Amino acid sequence: MDRGRVGLLVLTVVLLGGCAQETKVTRVDSEVVTDLSGRWNDTDSRMVAESMVKEALGYQWLNNFSSSKHRQPVVVVGTILNSSHEHINVNTFVADLERELTNSQKVTFVAGKGDREELRTERKEQAMYALEETQKAPGKEIGADYMMKGSIATILDEAEGTKAVFYQVDLQMVDLESNAKVWFGQKKIKKVVEKKRSIF
Amino acid sequence: MSLLASSPTVSVPARWGIFISTQSFFALLAFVLLAGCGPSVNRYALIETSLRAHNPKGADAIVQSAEKEYGDKSRLLYGMDRGMTLHLAGDYQQSNAVLEQAEEELDRLYTRKIRTETLAFMTNDTALPYEGDPYEQVLINVLKALNYAVLGQWQDALVEARRIDHRLNVLSDRTTEKNAYRDDGFARYLSGILYESTGEVNDAFIAYRKAYEAFEATRTWSHTPVPSQLPIDLLRTAEALHFTQELSGYQSLFPDARWEARQALQELAQVVVISYNGRAPRKEDRFLDIPISLDALQLVLLNRGFSQSERNRGVDTVMYGLNGQVVRVALPRLVPQKTHVPLDRVSLIPDNGTPVTVNTELVHNVTALADKALSERMAVITSKALARAATKHAMAEATTRGAQQAAGKDAGPWVGLLVGLLTKGWAVASEEADKRSWQTLPDEIHLARVWIPPGHYRVQPSESHDALLPETMRTLFLGPGETAVLIQRVMP
Repeated sequence: MDRGRVGLLVLTVVLLGGCAQETKVTRVDSEVVTDLSGRWNDTDSRMVAESMVKEALGYQWLNNFSSSKHRQPVVVVGTILNSSHEHINVNTFVADLERELTNSQKVTFVAGKGDREELRTERKEQAMYALEETQKAPGKEIGADYMMKGSIATILDEAEGTKAVFYQVDLQMVDLESNAKVWFGQKKIKKVVEKKRSIF
Repeated sequence: MSLLASSPTVSVPARWGIFISTQSFFALLAFVLLAGCGPSVNRYALIETSLRAHNPKGADAIVQSAEKEYGDKSRLLYGMDRGMTLHLAGDYQQSNAVLEQAEEELDRLYTRKIRTETLAFMTNDTALPYEGDPYEQVLINVLKALNYAVLGQWQDALVEARRIDHRLNVLSDRTTEKNAYRDDGFARYLSGILYESTGEVNDAFIAYRKAYEAFEATRTWSHTPVPSQLPIDLLRTAEALHFTQELSGYQSLFPDARWEARQALQELAQVVVISYNGRAPRKEDRFLDIPISLDALQLVLLNRGFSQSERNRGVDTVMYGLNGQVVRVALPRLVPQKTHVPLDRVSLIPDNGTPVTVNTELVHNVTALADKALSERMAVITSKALARAATKHAMAEATTRGAQQAAGKDAGPWVGLLVGLLTKGWAVASEEADKRSWQTLPDEIHLARVWIPPGHYRVQPSESHDALLPETMRTLFLGPGETAVLIQRVMP
C-alpha cells in the first residue's frame, strides 16, 4: 500500500470516528428487566407491588370481612415511608399498589389523602359555580375500612467495589376502626453490584 | 502527508516519512513550549467578587459559563462548585440536581481507566479525572441534606444522612491509620440534628455519639473543639430514650451541662443556623528543579533553584530545555485564606417579644481538612512526580538521539538541538501539580441551634460581617415542633 492510500485510510477513520452515535435510544417492553445501576427501579416497584398485593388479597381477612359485612372492603393507601439510602419515588410505588388493588376487583378502592383534597376543592367550586342539578354534594364520601401503609428500608454493605444492597419492603393492612393489623407482608430484594477498579 | 506540512521552504527529511517545514517546526515549538504560560482568568476571584456584592446568582452564572473550561476531567469539580453557588443563590432544587449528578460521577470514577492513568503519567496529574478528597465527597451529601431541609423535604434530607453514614463507614473501613480523616464530626452532628428534627431520636443519639467521638479523635489536627451544644444534645436524647447508663456516663463527662427535656422543646420551634465563613484554601505549584550535571546545577542556582509559581515558566522552559540537564518536579502547595471573623451572629426579631441573638460556633474547619488531605497524599504525589520526571527526561534523551541519527551527519547537530529543546523543554513545561480543589467552599463552617417560641420572625444577619442571607430566609414563620434551617455566607 503506498503512502497516499494509508493517508486516505487514516483520514476516513478519523472522519468516520466523528459520525459515531453518542445517544442511542432503544424501545423495550416495560416488562423487560433493566438493571443498570443496581438502584431501586421500575421493575422493583412493579414486582414488589404485584406480589405483595396478591399476597395481601389471598389472606383470610378479606373473606372474613366479605362474609360478615356482605360487601367488599374499602381500602385506602396511606403513607409509604422511605427509610432507604436512595431518593425513591414513593409515589410510583403507591401508584403500583393502587393499580394492583383496584384491578384485583376484590376490594373497593378510595382515593388517597392528596387526591381527596383535590376532589374536595372541586366539590367546593362546583357548589359555587356549577348548575345546581349537576352539583355533587359534600358528605357522601365512602369511608375506608382499611388502610395499607408501610415502609421501604435498605441495608447497605460495601467493600472493595462490591456493594450488597438489601431492600426490605414492609406493608401492613390496618383496620381503621379498631387499629388492628389484619395483614403484615414483607418482601426482600437483595442486589449485588460489582464495580471494576481499573479498565483499559 | 502530515497535517502539519505546508509547502516547505527547507524540509527536514525524517526517516519515518513525515516532512516538517522549518516554519511549522518553530511554530509547533513555540506552541508546545509556551502552552500553559498564558494568563488564565481566576474564576474563583470573580465568584468571590460577586458574593461580596451580594450577587450569588452572578456567582452561579460565572461557574455555569465556565462549564467547558472545567472540561471532561473536572466534571465532578464543576458539579461541586455549581452545587455550592446554586445553594447560596437559594436555588435548592437545582443545587440538588447538580449535586446528584456529581455524586453519580463520583460513583463512576471508582473505576480507573488505565489509558488515562498512563496519559497522566506522561504529562501531569491534571490529566486525571478529579475525584475530590474524602472530606469533599462527604460535603456533597451534607450540602444536599441542607438543601432538602431548607425545602422542608425532611425524609429526603434523611436519605442524605444515611448516605453520609454509609460513606463514612466505607471510608473508615478503607483507612487503617488511626489519626487519618476517617470520620466527620460535622457531618455526623448535622445528621443527628436532622434525625432529631424528624422525631428519629434513637438515630439522632447514635449520630451525636459518633459526632462526639469524631470531634475528639480529630481534635489535634482539625483544630475544632467539640461544639458546646453537642454534650447538651447527647444528654437530652439519652434521657428521652431512657438510656440510663449512657446518661450517667455523659453526666459525669459533662458535669456543668444543663439541658431541657425533649418534651418541653417540642412545644417550641427550632432554628438551625449554618454559616459559611471565609474562603477555602487554594493550591499553588511548587517547582523543584533537579540538576543532573554540574553546569545544570549552576544554571538552577542562578535561576534561584527552588522556584515559585509566579515565575516566568516560559523562560524556564526554554532555558532548561536548551541545557537539557534539568529535571523539573511540580508539587502542590496549600495556601490558606483564613477568615478573620471568629464567630457569626444572627438576630431573630419576633413581631412582639424580645429579639433572640444567636451566636454560631466553629464545627468544620475546611482549611485544616484540606491540609490533612494533602499531607496524607503528599508521599504518593511526590514519588509519582519524581518517577514521571525521570521517565520524561529519559524519553526526551532517547528521542533527541534518535532524531540526530535519523537526520544524518549534516543536519544531525542542529536537528538534535531543536528536538532536544522541544522534548526536554516539553518535559519541563508539561510539569504541573494538580491544583484542583472545591474552592467555592468556605474556610470554616459555623453552626448554631436555638429553640424559640413559635411565631413570626424577621431574620437579621450581623451587619458588621456583611453576611449574605438569601431573600427567602429573611422572614420565618414557625409552628410548634417545626425546624427552620438558615443559610448565610460570611465573607472575611
